[in-house]
Amino acid sequence: MNIFFIELKAHRKSLILWCIGMLLMTFAGMSKFAAFDSTGQSINEAMSAFPDSIKTVLGLGDFDLSKASGFYGVLYLYLIVMATIHAVMLGANIIAKEERDKTTEFLFVKPISRAHAVTAKLLSSVVMVIILNLVTLVGSILIVNYYSTDTDFIGDIFLLMFSMFILQILFLSLGVFIASWSKKPRLASSISSGILLFTFMLSVIINVSNKIDFLKYLTPYKYFEAKDVMNGNGIQFIYLLISLFVVGLLTHFTYLFYEKRDLNI
Amino acid sequence: MNIFKQEFKSNLRSTITWTISIALVVFLVMALFPGFNKDAQQMEDLMLGFPEPLREALQLNIDVFRSVLGFYSFTFLYILLIGSIQALNLGLSMLSKEQREKTADFLLTKPVTRVKIVTAKLQAALTSLIFTNIVYIIISYISIEMVKNTDYSIKKFLMMALTLFFVQVLFLSLGFILSVLIPKIKSVISISLPTVFGFFIIRMLGSIIGEKEVRYITPLEYYDRQYILTEGRYETQFFIIEIILMVIFISATYFIYHKKDIHSI
Repeated sequence: MNIFFIELKAHRKSLILWCIGMLLMTFAGMSKFAAFDSTGQSINEAMSAFPDSIKTVLGLGDFDLSKASGFYGVLYLYLIVMATIHAVMLGANIIAKEERDKTTEFLFVKPISRAHAVTAKLLSSVVMVIILNLVTLVGSILIVNYYSTDTDFIGDIFLLMFSMFILQILFLSLGVFIASWSKKPRLASSISSGILLFTFMLSVIINVSNKIDFLKYLTPYKYFEAKDVMNGNGIQFIYLLISLFVVGLLTHFTYLFYEKRDLNI
Repeated sequence: MNIFKQEFKSNLRSTITWTISIALVVFLVMALFPGFNKDAQQMEDLMLGFPEPLREALQLNIDVFRSVLGFYSFTFLYILLIGSIQALNLGLSMLSKEQREKTADFLLTKPVTRVKIVTAKLQAALTSLIFTNIVYIIISYISIEMVKNTDYSIKKFLMMALTLFFVQVLFLSLGFILSVLIPKIKSVISISLPTVFGFFIIRMLGSIIGEKEVRYITPLEYYDRQYILTEGRYETQFFIIEIILMVIFISATYFIYHKKDIHSI
């Protein structure tokens, strides 16, 4: 339990900064809506005539841009990129920092098993991920509400934030896994952010070119796209299943490797 | 000279990794141009029918979709994002790694002045960036040549591609000054990634702060690609700002590092 609280405290400052960043991002994005909105209803007609590839490169998708909630859907992509970067770096750092700061010996001469330490660190990072998610949720609802004329977007935002939570957990477990498995934990956050950027680029390329659609299972950014979630399809069960499976697998291997690995001291 | 060689060698692997990923991104993105261009033809007719305010709200320049250089300028922001992270990483780590890896007293007991150390490290970092940029420009040139449909101005291409170097150098000097100001840098990437993304978010705040004013704050927008594309030159005031900032950052780095207490272990 001590480890749990120590970790929460150690990451408090960075978590606050990330929360501010998320709120700022939401605010910045939605403020563009005000500028957009002044051009009126014609925007939708114009958008519908755009070829898909161009809409994708602009990040516009199939949203109702005359509504604040539609605009939020465009913004959502940036929000999940930020939230997943936070998650993957948190996951990698929370394990790797002991070796980086040369505190491994201090920690493991205590009467706790390695599994116990990993569990505490995992729980603590899940709590932080949830805090970031909740802050974004509340912030999003308030900010969108400020710009919106109706209130039927709230359900959508809850669903979107739930999808974001799954992605956060997915990348968190990836970060934790890489830090536990890699022999050079110093590099863990670089490697995992590299993987994150790669999957992100992959999702952009899949969107632009429709020939490689089958690769969509490889990149989590294609799992819960705002346009599917908001157009009433909700969250697709198959992707939920894949995510949970991957999280389970990565967590399993985290314990497996971290129990056995020689720790650098 | 020894420090320079040593630093260059220890950076070499990460420089090559960054260079390959930047080159790969530009190559993959440019490979999408032919398909994109086909859509752009029909797009162009469409856009001409739009009322002027709508076109302004969408912030679209028709040229962007028509020419290969326009497409290149459109995707350049992503290259800039990756390049900035590389440069900031490099700048942050050069001086701080001696403390992080407990090699500061090894280095500082050698008969070299601190000024010389900073100079050698700056030179090594610059060399890495120059290497990245040379490869980047060559790969961009090849990719553009492969997909081009009409002739384009080589001069404008080079001017645009060179802005990557300018922005990187600015981020490098920012990294140097930050690395002597922040007391203890535990993990470089956890500072560089949020900083660059922070500038990216500020860029989006344009509609609140004002589109013109925001450009002075974020180096990512110092060199307006549209402007280069249409006018064929850089905007002088941003060039001057960049040089002033660099001189301030670098001289402050020398000054502070010269006097700084560096704790051994």
